[in-house]
Amino acid sequence: MMIFAKNGLILLILKLVLNSCNGDRIKDRMYIDVKASTSCFRRFNATHQVGCSSQRGGANGVIHFCTKESDLHFILKNGTAGPYVPIVPASLLTEKSVKLLKLSPKVSGLVVYPNNETLNSFTHDLKCPNENFAVPNTCGKNEITWNPRGTGLLFQDIGFPVFFIDLYEDVTSVKECFQKFNNFSYDTQRDRALCSIQLNSFMYGAKNTPTCIRRSNIATNLNPMRVCDPLGSKNVWASLFPLATYNNETEEVKPILGQKYIVVASRSDAASLFDRTVGAESPITGLVTLLAVAKILKQLLPQNKNYTTNVLFILFNGESFDYLGSQRIVYDMERGNFPVETENGTSVFLPVIKAKDITLFIELSQLSRGDGHVFIHRYKLDRWNTRFTDLLKINSHSSLTLATSDGTLPPSSVHTFIRKYQNLSTLVLANHEREYSNRFYNSIFDNSTNINFRYFNRSDELVPIDSIQYHLVAIANTISKSIYQEVTGVRYEDGDVDLFELVNELLYCFLEDQNCKLHQVVGKIPQKQQDQPLNLYVGVDGNTNDAVTLIGFILGWLTGDIVGESNQNCTNISKNYAFRFYNMSVDMAHLNVTKCFRMVMNFTDAVSPAFIIEGYDWSSNLYSSWSESTWGDMNARLFLKPSAAQESMVMAVGSISIIFSFLIVYFIKSRSDILFCPTATQPSPVDC
Amino acid sequence: MDLSKLTNEKKLSLCRGYFRTGFALLPFVWAVNAIWFFNEAFRKPEYEEQKQLKKYVIYSAIGAAIWSVVLTTWIVIFQVNRDNWGEFADRISFIIPLGS
Repeated sequence: MMIFAKNGLILLILKLVLNSCNGDRIKDRMYIDVKASTSCFRRFNATHQVGCSSQRGGANGVIHFCTKESDLHFILKNGTAGPYVPIVPASLLTEKSVKLLKLSPKVSGLVVYPNNETLNSFTHDLKCPNENFAVPNTCGKNEITWNPRGTGLLFQDIGFPVFFIDLYEDVTSVKECFQKFNNFSYDTQRDRALCSIQLNSFMYGAKNTPTCIRRSNIATNLNPMRVCDPLGSKNVWASLFPLATYNNETEEVKPILGQKYIVVASRSDAASLFDRTVGAESPITGLVTLLAVAKILKQLLPQNKNYTTNVLFILFNGESFDYLGSQRIVYDMERGNFPVETENGTSVFLPVIKAKDITLFIELSQLSRGDGHVFIHRYKLDRWNTRFTDLLKINSHSSLTLATSDGTLPPSSVHTFIRKYQNLSTLVLANHEREYSNRFYNSIFDNSTNINFRYFNRSDELVPIDSIQYHLVAIANTISKSIYQEVTGVRYEDGDVDLFELVNELLYCFLEDQNCKLHQVVGKIPQKQQDQPLNLYVGVDGNTNDAVTLIGFILGWLTGDIVGESNQNCTNISKNYAFRFYNMSVDMAHLNVTKCFRMVMNFTDAVSPAFIIEGYDWSSNLYSSWSESTWGDMNARLFLKPSAAQESMVMAVGSISIIFSFLIVYFIKSRSDILFCPTATQPSPVDC
Repeated sequence: MDLSKLTNEKKLSLCRGYFRTGFALLPFVWAVNAIWFFNEAFRKPEYEEQKQLKKYVIYSAIGAAIWSVVLTTWIVIFQVNRDNWGEFADRISFIIPLGS
């Protein structure tokens, strides 16, 4: 009895001791995670794979912290320990250095950190973005190169993992580790333990879109797995005046037929070499201007007084990847499936809009302030766009310098439309004439600093005239008044609409804090509330990003009508494609006062026609064919790699002990009769 | 199974059985047969059934060798060309390696 009690006590103490231990595994404790890192990943088009991938399990390499180009050359020449992972400042991520690293057998990966000094440029799109799907001869000729600083790395198969660390603390810890273990006597690096990094971004897909789509769908595969997904999201459209009449009593909806349309468009996506995008200049300046135009026009033209022209706002998605959003809309328009999918080209709710119904296509491209210039690009002159240019000039705000640029066509959704409909009258408004003034096009540094954005609290500050808010409001007023004159035939004589508050708030929402007033207004708070920019990467089909939903609802809110008090019935009113009903706040100052809004806004699929046409011929190169590889883990972590001698030693000791164990077992077995007392064996009951 | 406890007659029938089974596209059965009965066929003092047993062991060994040459060749050809053959290679694969 006594013994049991004693044993029980010991067990109890043991249990208490063990409980206080935590289960950190040694294999996890030897690594330090670099948390604030984001990686470059792999994409495919019809013929190639582009981007980065590590090998399975991650790429290991000794770190070498570089601050200038000569550091990089130094380690490629003098490194004895290899393979290395150079840690380079953003300014060194150039075509030249990536080429150098690709050729070197000593390099297994690359880590990029933000520069301390100002960056000259950082854009990894092509010099002629979307060249293969553009109107011929609009780039690369006549001294026109839209993105001259573009390295094209976004569309290169880099072949080793590339990570971006954006947190200062992480960069410091990497640097400290490097200084402590690596940064001395390079000749003897092989003989000592070195600070190393493991970059894991293994991509499942390979080769090209047709291959990986096929592999994802093979039925005989024992381990079926999606290895890539088509890029895709949603396009957003909204109209100034309703496209249908709505009878409040009978709830009958009838399409208004025979209208002409002025399209005001902009893109709504950005791209980046890494798994994070910002897109302040492109697309947010254009996008915010479009939203401001919508707001002003709604104020100037609250009702359709039998005008023959309506205004259609379209936000194209995925335009950074060969105009996939606009390609889809053109494809749908041709088949009578825009703005809504129809069975035989007619809809009982909505008029079917075709390209011939569009009198004017105005696209808002990059519009940050620069020197106050706004260029009106007219690819082909015609009656419509000449007249509208005149209107723009008449209604121009005093702070703007409008200039025309004829025959030029910067990268824009207009390309897709002109390739199909040569006679469409188009205008592209941009702050550049022959090359982007944006030095950070489609990169993580196209942020609020790039467009000199500062959030103003109007109550206590005066707004400078050279602020981006002021500039975008001026452009929006100019365009809105011109459209007003085009639609009504009468000039708008009253002063500008003061939209500073809205534009200020929109930019703040998109660029700095997702948990802002406007998102509360439309009741679409993002799932993850973060004080960081909206992610504007198009993403993959079937996984619409928060940004599109938010932008769509803001557009709907700006162009919507209040039809009654907010209540549960509101969202239950007739569900159809012509109208959507939502409870939303009346304005930003009164978030708690909600009303029932009727919106003429909807989403359409922004997935390239290549993925929906059955038996599409991938070699035809008719449509955008971008897809994105899937992946499992994506992480970077630091560890201390032992010296080569120690590694070989461990290996040797292990091998020797296994050989010895075999020998010992053999001897024991062969001498078993001496070592163990022989026991009387029973004869076997069977004969084998 | 302990061969030393079998009668010679049983050994022969076992070896013959393995040899015949191998024809059902089972080269490993031949390989096992050849190795397992090697001692019986070549290193034991002569006995009546040994001649026949030897024959089966040799034939099994040859069969297994031919199979391994054919298989090795095919595996090398397939692995080298899997990427180039495109759709055909994917269709005849049961497991497609990720990332390549």
